[in-house]
Amino acid sequence: MDILENITEILAEILDIEKHNITPETYLIRELGAESIDLLELAVAINSRFNIDVNDDEIFLRKLRQYATEAKQQNNAVLQYLVEKLSFLSSKRLEEIIADLEGGLTLKVKDLISYIEWKKS
Amino acid sequence: MKFTGNRVIILGGSCDLAITLSGFMIEAGLFPILTYRNEKGREYILKNMESFPKKYSSFYLELGNRDSIDSMLQQTGDEIDFMVDFAQGNFESLIASADSESIYSYFAENISFRTEVLKKVARIMMKKKRGRLIFISSSAATRPNPGQGFYAAAKLASEAIYKNLGLELGGHGITTVTLRPGYIDSGRGRKFIQTHGKEVINKVPIKRAITKKEVAEAILFYLSDSAAGFNANEILMDGGLTAGK
Repeated sequence: MDILENITEILAEILDIEKHNITPETYLIRELGAESIDLLELAVAINSRFNIDVNDDEIFLRKLRQYATEAKQQNNAVLQYLVEKLSFLSSKRLEEIIADLEGGLTLKVKDLISYIEWKKS
Repeated sequence: MKFTGNRVIILGGSCDLAITLSGFMIEAGLFPILTYRNEKGREYILKNMESFPKKYSSFYLELGNRDSIDSMLQQTGDEIDFMVDFAQGNFESLIASADSESIYSYFAENISFRTEVLKKVARIMMKKKRGRLIFISSSAATRPNPGQGFYAAAKLASEAIYKNLGLELGGHGITTVTLRPGYIDSGRGRKFIQTHGKEVINKVPIKRAITKKEVAEAILFYLSDSAAGFNANEILMDGGLTAGK
């Protein structure tokens, strides 16, 4: 079972939804309605399933807006700053996220996959 | 009594109450895992638990030493069903005369550190979707004597953390209870009673101190399946001390 299949299985169980509703492009909070307690359960399940230490703030991009604000305050390029702070995400994905910030919480299933791959590498 | 689970971490495992409790736990078929913060504590546990070989284990955990949390949890693994928390540093001082450095370190050790232990143990328990945690507070949390302000503040803050954990994870099978004993004929309580004599005991409506055995049996009950309905609350066990003026 690959990482996506594992994540899909975990999310379907925690959120009590059908697996076919979950793709790499699915927003966890915006679309699936995951709440903080669901994310905690997800972090614990990822830790257990993949045997990796999970930092909840990192994997769920909780400091994303704080980092964007810091970059602006320090007159840094936001993209470059985010690349340094969230090194498990690609520049391409971070560009997408920056363009998407106005739309609400940007966390997608594929971000979890990137985090897990980064932790396992 | 019936218990769902077997392995119990006992923080502050080298105190008299923890030793007494461990004996009762072993009799009830539970496996206590006692923590100690120094060599003296380790030796005290060894000496007092010698009649229970292989029926318990003990690990180093020092308030404030964050590495010791991971080290302990690596050794205990994911097999943790219960936790009983006696851990509490001693810092008695009038507020206005307290050493400034000690103020910061005391709260870091007794609140922040405890919370980190709780966070990590709760995440382990979440994997099994069950767990029970009992915090041993004190009637001094709400009725401190002069000089006990820091102790009371740390106890009340810790009670709040336990309460919220039970609120947040009760639906996931993880529940908490705080027990607030009054004067106990053990450890610091015994010393206090010896120093202040009958005057102290006369304030207690039952006219005696609570015994170690009573506290241990109460804790065992709150760990049992019969007490599953208690969650995110504080239970007074003070002989009526705090009920009246």
